[in-house]
Amino acid sequence: MRLALPLFGYALALAWLAPAPLARLTAPGRDPRLGLAAWLAAMTSVLAAAAAALAFLIRAAVAGWNGLAEVVCRSVAGHACAQTVYQSAAFELILAAVAVVAALAAAVLAWRYGRSVQRARRQTRAHGEVARIVGRALSTGRPGRRTATVVIDGAAPVAYCVWGRPATIVLSSAALEVLDPDQLGAVLAHERAHLAGRHHLLIALIRGLDTAFPGVPLFGRGLDHVTRLSEMCADDVAARRSGRPALAGALLAMATGAVVPAAALGAMSCAVSTRLGRLAEVPRRAGDLRYGVALAALMVALALGPVLVALAASRA
Amino acid sequence: MRGFGELESVIMHRVWDHGGPVTVRELFDKLQQERVIAYTTVMTTMDNLHRKGWLARVKEGKAYRYTPTASREEYSARLMREALDGGGDTQAVLSHFVAQMDGDESELLRDVVRRLTDRQPR
Repeated sequence: MRLALPLFGYALALAWLAPAPLARLTAPGRDPRLGLAAWLAAMTSVLAAAAAALAFLIRAAVAGWNGLAEVVCRSVAGHACAQTVYQSAAFELILAAVAVVAALAAAVLAWRYGRSVQRARRQTRAHGEVARIVGRALSTGRPGRRTATVVIDGAAPVAYCVWGRPATIVLSSAALEVLDPDQLGAVLAHERAHLAGRHHLLIALIRGLDTAFPGVPLFGRGLDHVTRLSEMCADDVAARRSGRPALAGALLAMATGAVVPAAALGAMSCAVSTRLGRLAEVPRRAGDLRYGVALAALMVALALGPVLVALAASRA
Repeated sequence: MRGFGELESVIMHRVWDHGGPVTVRELFDKLQQERVIAYTTVMTTMDNLHRKGWLARVKEGKAYRYTPTASREEYSARLMREALDGGGDTQAVLSHFVAQMDGDESELLRDVVRRLTDRQPR
């Protein structure tokens, strides 16, 4: 019980205070994989601390109801807590009511989380199956048993991947019309990177947490940032595979629905994009190591956080 | 070959292309000209598609005549709708190559593309 309150405090503080500095640290998208790891470390730390606090609380409750009544009373009122208070019927009644409400709340949260994840999974599976039956198979040069690539008739340029067994990459016919072969390669590499990196799973889990604990900034804002960082991770893979001009051309073509000839982008990559790239990269070289060390230190702190809080509380 | 489930796609496309109600025998005769396939495989697959709601069937003599419950175009449109603005959950689990943009942003990008392509001698 003495450990439960500080651990809950740590979890709450981190869930509300961490998003702002994390957002600033990971916003430039310098190393999206590190940024992703930092957000996940913070979420894991909060969940671990909250779970440990809950475990201590339940253990105390099981060990002895009377003892619990006394400890709760002491931890709230300190030494001002008298025996007549914590042994009174009113206090026990209140305590029992709180316990019941807490248990109910936990059950509701668990149910909401499960339902959200379940519904997303069902819809995804159904969507993927319909796409695989209705779509025409696209021969991509690397036939995979685990990934089907299909084309659906559609007037808007659309490309996305659906997790499942097999996973499905869906392109609209309009997307095929605006992409040249290199750009198509970049789009496919991007979607395959999402599938290989299990990004859908991360996002589904965090989305479930956001549904179960609405209004907790670490999950709400975290969902946006993790989504954005996972896009950047996939972009990095696609740029390595197909080259930056192809990826940039694919992004422009898909976003505008207009054909972007490779030659046009060739001109741009010599002018605007190279200069922008250099501007973005020069300070990055110098800061890379420091940035990595800082984020690594942050992650160690997040991993040790709950343990340190528990140790400090048990000494106090 | 897309492995398991691929046959369902092949058969659905054949039924759509056929135009009218079709029997297992008719479809089997056509498929047999292109691939090694057993009559029972075609029958089982069509039965599965019926069970999943893709095909409707009416008994005619000893055999069933199968018709698609919706056209290929209807399914495509439904998929695209789901992908673009579908129920919140589907939207979240489909990871799009480019997110939906507001009018201003896409107009800005269109302008960039226009200027890039105009500068190129064609």
